[in-house]
Amino acid sequence: MRDNIPLLTAIDVHKAYRKHAIEVPVLNGLDLEVYAGEFLSIVGSSGSGKSTLLHVLGTLDKPDEGRVLLEGERIDNQPAEQRDRLRNQTFGFIFQFYHLLPELSTLENVLMPKMIALPMRGWFRERRALKQAATELLDRVGLGHRLRHKPRELSGGEMQRAAIARALINKPRVLLADEPTGNLDADKGEEIVRLLRDLNRQERLTIVMVTHNMEIVANTDRFVRLVKGRVEDTSGETAASIANHRSASGVCLSTDVEC
Amino acid sequence: MYKLLLCWRYLLTRYLALVCIISVMLGVATLIVVNSVMAGFSTKLRERLHGLLSDIVVEARDFQGFANPEGKMALIQSDPFLSQRIEAMTPTLEIFGMIQFNCNGSPIARPVHIIGVDPEGRARVGGFAEHLMLHKGKPSFALSREALERNSLFHPPRRLDEIARSMLPKPKDGSPVPDPPPSRELPPSTIIVGYAVAHFRAKMKPEEAAQEIRTLDPGDDVWVTTISGQGMKPVEWRCAVCDYFRSEMSEYDANYVFVPIDELQRLRGMDNRATSLQIRIKDYRDLHAVKDRLQSLLPAHWSLSVHTWEDKQGPLLAAISIEKGILNVLLFMIIAVAGFGILAIFSMIVVEKTRDIGILKALGASNTGVLNIFLTYGLLLGVVGALLGSLSGVYITLNINEIEQWLTRWTGHELFDRSVYYFNEIPTDLNVWSVLLINGGAVAIAVLFSVLPALRAALLHPVRALRYE
Repeated sequence: MRDNIPLLTAIDVHKAYRKHAIEVPVLNGLDLEVYAGEFLSIVGSSGSGKSTLLHVLGTLDKPDEGRVLLEGERIDNQPAEQRDRLRNQTFGFIFQFYHLLPELSTLENVLMPKMIALPMRGWFRERRALKQAATELLDRVGLGHRLRHKPRELSGGEMQRAAIARALINKPRVLLADEPTGNLDADKGEEIVRLLRDLNRQERLTIVMVTHNMEIVANTDRFVRLVKGRVEDTSGETAASIANHRSASGVCLSTDVEC
Repeated sequence: MYKLLLCWRYLLTRYLALVCIISVMLGVATLIVVNSVMAGFSTKLRERLHGLLSDIVVEARDFQGFANPEGKMALIQSDPFLSQRIEAMTPTLEIFGMIQFNCNGSPIARPVHIIGVDPEGRARVGGFAEHLMLHKGKPSFALSREALERNSLFHPPRRLDEIARSMLPKPKDGSPVPDPPPSRELPPSTIIVGYAVAHFRAKMKPEEAAQEIRTLDPGDDVWVTTISGQGMKPVEWRCAVCDYFRSEMSEYDANYVFVPIDELQRLRGMDNRATSLQIRIKDYRDLHAVKDRLQSLLPAHWSLSVHTWEDKQGPLLAAISIEKGILNVLLFMIIAVAGFGILAIFSMIVVEKTRDIGILKALGASNTGVLNIFLTYGLLLGVVGALLGSLSGVYITLNINEIEQWLTRWTGHELFDRSVYYFNEIPTDLNVWSVLLINGGAVAIAVLFSVLPALRAALLHPVRALRYE
């Protein structure tokens, strides 16, 4: 499921946050290539910069140094409108805490990226077709019966499915998932990962997922580990071997990775 | 599109938004009511001030007056410019004086302004006949039959005829006694008194609302004292109250009495003299042109001065406009207070919605888009608040007298003291333009004060907003 042209490339990315006048480095010269159609997972201890990497890749945040390329074209230094459009059209985000808008129904939440994309007239012209598309998408993620419910009336798993449908409504090229199962129990988490896996296989959707859970990692094509803001060489290991090794020994590989 | 949807949802789900709406609503309603009542008072007061005064007054500089008012009127009429523009003219004879009367056995004396008028001529100049209570629209100094009867109680018919007859020598031949020359039953002199001269308001019991008490009935006797035209000798005569004058301007109603001009001329020894000419013009816009023309027409040695009614009421009119100006400043403060309320509440809403703002940005919403959400929100709050405020403000204005009566009954305290203005009801003047202006101002302020929180929301860093707990 992997092409040889990198779809998304990060080259020597540095990012630091200021906390009370102390500079906290998060990313230290990180290099990463994401290939079209692959399901990549990123693991690493807390504070290793996984989420920040995802934000930088998805143009939510700017790197202090270095470059982010989409199909060889630099995107991190684009003007704000361009980056807004990229987030709207090219990237889909899902988060650990779902981040649905509480005032809107499931259907409205899923339609939100479309509403942001279209001017008022366009929205009203295409409203019916878009609602139809959103309904189908919600059917696809198994929420066809929850269209009019508000987020607070949904379970965690259902909220995450709604968030996935929202991320997919504009047919993005890359889905950036920030610990999508972090707040779910094992069964529900597995369902979500299976859904992502299916989307990756059936629609050839490129997925970059940050996770703690090594069992989930085993379901993905490839993984990288972040240590101190850099990608550690993982060429010798495979996700499957890690998962097998761990389940055999019952010992955590990294002190911070959850068992 | 998402902006409107979100605004609408935020409006429906935030109770804080309700507070904003209420603050705008109260501001707008207060402004409309206060403005309407103030405008009502102002218009009514102007009307009243003008009411008794004719448009233009030509006055003698002293109370000896000028001779031959008819001649002067003829002179004015002979001017083509003036005769085209003047509707009516009448001479009046004005003098200070005092009236005395009995009220429940105790004598009461009041200083008054005595005005000698020709009732019909004065009515044509305006501001007179419509204020008479008994002869409304039909000005006259005639006593009604009841008043005449009441007056005759004070003055039983003199037995003069019998006395005279008994004193006559009896004819020897038994022929009937010849009738003495008939004693002429003169109709009593009459006077129109100001309403407040003949009435006063008082509380019978402290907890009750004030009541109106009449001290002079039609037909009651009044002694009028003033000075004669030459030599300033005191002049005094008795007359019967024939009518009340009620202009609802307490200054006039409490001080003015009217008597027939010919009688006043005769009693003061000022035959064919008057102190002023009252002039009514056809088109109010000609006021100053007519005044200027009159000034140039009347020879200086007559020492007559020409005033418009506005000149005569200058200080009062100026006071009204100052009052209005101060009021507008104070009312502006009300809006500013509401504006700061919006600012505070909006800032809270932005903080509360921080994470949603991050989500929207992650989904591709631009800074301008987020800014517009909150500006539209402010606009929506302003519009809804202004609309509700206008409805309640207009409702209160239209029903202000009922509300005032209800409040007076409820609290036992008279809110609108009728003895101050002698208005029967609180006057209001609901001006569509001022309502629109208030609405526009309120909406503009709502938007203006939401700019700062909206900017804050728009400039939030998406990642920090997403992580906001």
